[in-house]
Amino acid sequence: MAAPERTTRFPAAPRSSIGELLRRPPRSRILGWLIAVAGSVVLTAALVPIRDELTPLSKGFFYLLVVVAAAATGGFGPGILASVLGFLLFNFFFLPPYGTFEIGRGEHVFVLFVFLGISVLISIVVARASERAEAAEGREAELRLLQDLSSSLVQMAPGSDAYRALLREILDRFGFESGALFVQDEGEVRGLREEVTVGAVPGSIDVRGDPTAGRPPERLALSIGSRVVGLVVLCGERPPLAPAESRVLRAVCDQLALVIERDRLLRSATRAEVYRQSDEMRRALLTAVSHDLRTPLAAIKTSATDLLDDEVDRTDEDRREALQAIDRESDRLNELIANLLDMSRIELGVLKPRTASVSVGEAVEAAVDAVRARWPVVTVRSDVHDVIVRADPVFLERVVSNLLENAARAASSSSEPAVDVVGERVGERQVVRVRDHGPGIDEPSKEALFYPFYRLDGRNVRLGPGLGLAIAKGFLSLMDGDIWIEETPSGGATFAFSLPAADMPT
Amino acid sequence: MSDRILVVDDEEQIRRALRRALVARGYDVEVAVDGEDALSAFGTFAPDVVVLDLNMPGIDGIEVTHRLRSWSSVPILVLSVREDEADKVRALDLGADDYLTKPFGVPELLARIRALLRRSEPSPAHTRFAVGDVLIDLTDRTVRRGGAAMHLTKTEWSLLDALARNPGKLLTHGWLLHAVWGEGYGEDVEVLRVFISQLRRKVEPDPAHPSLIITEAGVGYRWAQAPAG
Repeated sequence: MAAPERTTRFPAAPRSSIGELLRRPPRSRILGWLIAVAGSVVLTAALVPIRDELTPLSKGFFYLLVVVAAAATGGFGPGILASVLGFLLFNFFFLPPYGTFEIGRGEHVFVLFVFLGISVLISIVVARASERAEAAEGREAELRLLQDLSSSLVQMAPGSDAYRALLREILDRFGFESGALFVQDEGEVRGLREEVTVGAVPGSIDVRGDPTAGRPPERLALSIGSRVVGLVVLCGERPPLAPAESRVLRAVCDQLALVIERDRLLRSATRAEVYRQSDEMRRALLTAVSHDLRTPLAAIKTSATDLLDDEVDRTDEDRREALQAIDRESDRLNELIANLLDMSRIELGVLKPRTASVSVGEAVEAAVDAVRARWPVVTVRSDVHDVIVRADPVFLERVVSNLLENAARAASSSSEPAVDVVGERVGERQVVRVRDHGPGIDEPSKEALFYPFYRLDGRNVRLGPGLGLAIAKGFLSLMDGDIWIEETPSGGATFAFSLPAADMPT
Repeated sequence: MSDRILVVDDEEQIRRALRRALVARGYDVEVAVDGEDALSAFGTFAPDVVVLDLNMPGIDGIEVTHRLRSWSSVPILVLSVREDEADKVRALDLGADDYLTKPFGVPELLARIRALLRRSEPSPAHTRFAVGDVLIDLTDRTVRRGGAAMHLTKTEWSLLDALARNPGKLLTHGWLLHAVWGEGYGEDVEVLRVFISQLRRKVEPDPAHPSLIITEAGVGYRWAQAPAG
């Protein structure tokens, strides 16, 4: 059983089959013939008793009433029938001598034929007028249907759901059972690709129609100018399309072609925009990386070339400071290169975690030294010595050290320069929280926090703490882990991550 | 009195390394952490040379160059990275005097600073240059080669004049085109290249290995010779 199809609701419109609206209802045609016959008979029966009290001419007028009624209701045929019947009955019953088709007086011959002439003329005029009115009604119905469908088209959001809803609407209104919309493929293989199928199993209708169905399908090309953008195939047991129906269908298809083209252009514009943005992003990232790599390198180069110059008298302190700068900047460069390599390996998807039972406490201890060296004022208080998780030991160490560095950076400038690492067991998961008591993170920054770089202003881009966080997130996602941000109750930010607890069966 | 240098860079480690190297060589150094800081420090410190990083948040190096040039002719040495080629040219077009690409060695930096300090000394009346057997006198508008007078066209003279009156300064394509041909030649680097090569054939001792007019690839040209006095 196929999943229920989603449908887009169209504005409510009086639903009637177009055939019903466009063809003269057969019922009124029959009624016309009936009026012609019954009217003439009843009238004759009614007039016979009083035939001597009326002049022949006035009796004739009564028959004209029947002619008008028959022609107006049933059209030309019933009108003519009423005329002929009237002609014969009038002659037989009301022109003396009664009971024969003989006519006594020359004057009556004249009256009789004038009657016939008038009634035929009336039939023609009335029938034509009523046909015109019907044609106008039909055109109005045509227009109404077209309007319904085209307003649906205009309101349609791009996408298959909308096409499906429209196709369903066409099937309903025109009495088809199933149909499919094919769209010209934009890919490398040019050709018609099935977009949606309604009323049949997708794939069962091909561009030549449903091969199993008896009737040949209606095939309507969707084209813009000479370019084919798609094809609508409609199948079902119904009479061939009337000219008016195919006119409406053709118009709907022309509009559908425009909508498909609009959607295609919209998609390609979106793609171009996405491409442009990602291109811009790559460029910005490259600038950021180059700046961040070159800055420590420039500091090292300046300090080293400074020291190499023997002509200068410098104090021991100066010399030591220059050497320290070289040392510190080399570390920074090393850290940055490690992060960039991690990031690109995560993005390339070449990393496979080797999961084992790992102590979070050990990972923290390994990272603490680097933090202490870089931010001597910051104390790290760890409460996770006994916490064991299922993780890749190398990945976990990168996660922990990135989070600790991030927290220490925030803590170093705060009044309480401390970072707390605490664990909490939640069901089968082990949560680890890294808390700082720094300024915290404002709401808008949270969004961008896990991006590898950020923009300082319109032009300049820097790799930010986001690089470390993005890496932590990347590694965690490889180990069935999560990461999120909380607020430290006493103020500051808390980065929490969770991993499968180790003593649970895996 | 020692020369005063204002170092503008948003990266602390660069500021510290530069200050250390420059102070050790006897310069009086002031540092600024961004563009705004630089503009206010410029007023109080009155530097003889500004060493200016281009890529800074807020008011960047280009903007600082632009603002400084509206009221000062202090020599400006811009620091850029290789990816900022376009920014570097813009800063030079706006009136920066020279550039260095990070990372650079201290000797290179010192050489540039010394050249800029020399240039900012009151302009000498001397406008004569002697290289090998070539003698150039801008005042008399004569070029002699092995004693024989060389004929230079009017445009060649303007170009020679524009270059030689700014010894040591990196002159961008745009600046030279504007100085020699005026408005409207801003982008026509090819024209400039043709005239430079003509000029080199007339004034360079060895036109195949220029020693007077040095090419700065993609940026412009530099007159490498100090006046002979």
